[in-house]
Amino acid sequence: MKIRKLLFVTKFEELGYDALKALLSMRKSDLEHIVFLYVIERDQVAMRRGLGYQKSDAVRLKEAANIRFIDWAERLFEQGMEVGVYIQVGSLAAEVAKAVRKEEADLVVIGRSQKTAMEQFYSGSTVTELIRRLSVPVLVYKPVSESPFVTGTPFQRPLIATDWSPASLRAVDYLLELKPLIEEIQLVHVVDEGAIEGSSVMNAQKTRKDVKERLEEICSRLISAGIAARSHVYVGDPEEGIEKAAKECQATVVVLGSSSKNLWVERWVGSTPRAVAEKSVFPTLLIPPVME
Amino acid sequence: MAKKVLVVDDDPDVRLFNTTVLEENGYLPLEAENGEEGLRMIKAEKPDLIILDVLMPRQSGIRLYRELKTNAGLKDLKVMILSGIAQKTFLRSQQALTEFGENPVPEPEFYIEKPVDADVLAATIKKAIG
Repeated sequence: MKIRKLLFVTKFEELGYDALKALLSMRKSDLEHIVFLYVIERDQVAMRRGLGYQKSDAVRLKEAANIRFIDWAERLFEQGMEVGVYIQVGSLAAEVAKAVRKEEADLVVIGRSQKTAMEQFYSGSTVTELIRRLSVPVLVYKPVSESPFVTGTPFQRPLIATDWSPASLRAVDYLLELKPLIEEIQLVHVVDEGAIEGSSVMNAQKTRKDVKERLEEICSRLISAGIAARSHVYVGDPEEGIEKAAKECQATVVVLGSSSKNLWVERWVGSTPRAVAEKSVFPTLLIPPVME
Repeated sequence: MAKKVLVVDDDPDVRLFNTTVLEENGYLPLEAENGEEGLRMIKAEKPDLIILDVLMPRQSGIRLYRELKTNAGLKDLKVMILSGIAQKTFLRSQQALTEFGENPVPEPEFYIEKPVDADVLAATIKKAIG
């Protein structure tokens, strides 16, 4: 699971060169190739009532994107990086999936979704769509201006939030490959408040001890691979607990196993990985479940 | 027999422009849309000239140029870079790769920064392969 090639999906306003520059720290591990993808959503150029497909608009948008990419590519080429570009008209998730397949990318980097809650309910969240279609991890990057707590390079102090799912356990293997970038890993599990509610103090402590032991087993694996690691147990709402842990540990990225719930279930009951990816101030790395 | 010129560019409009200029000047144009496809065609067709873009999917022109110039069987093929990427960037990137331990490669003999005028393109091709 080495990251040699990453697909950087941008609309420029939510993910700019500053993000790209921060990700260049990954060259210390295996990163050697960055592919840019800019998707012109169909409704920007097509399906206009009474006008049909506006090819001239598509050409104008493509050229504007190309000019930005040439500028970015020149800076990366000069540092010895390999760079590629796709500028496509289509739907974002479908074009990302196509580019990942063609390029055999190891990681997808996207910005925070610009959709409103209502749009997300009806058309689906971009993150959910991507996770459903991709077998590679997705990093939802947040601009530095939005993340006053985040200082350092993206993988310097990762926080793995585990729910013991196979995908969240895969996160550990994934981070092992990024060892040269990592200073220390924080491992956290948020115990559902309901699990200890009404139980005795002894039972609550037993729950804490059991969780801690499971976390320590993972820590031992990381430590024996030469990566410093600490474990933490939180109680409460998973989304709030993860955010609190990330702030307290001064994490630079939150790493979660992504949900394998189907679209409809997720639309109605939600999912912690999606909520953290979309609401947290921390960059969020979503590790997909193993595709069947 | 007409001389073969391979145009490697991901932009179909640029390929159309270049191949039209080539045909109008009596050359036989061949086309590839990225570096990987370009390399396959170079090995199969051994063109007299390769007109190479830099910023492309799958494999960039910088990487393909390096592969050509470090391959004993291909290093003498003539290459013209035709790109929106500045020549100084191309040279710096090759220098950076050499500093990372890769073999040094010579500077391209012909470099045109886009956009290109049809007459300038035709004249440069003539200078390269007659």
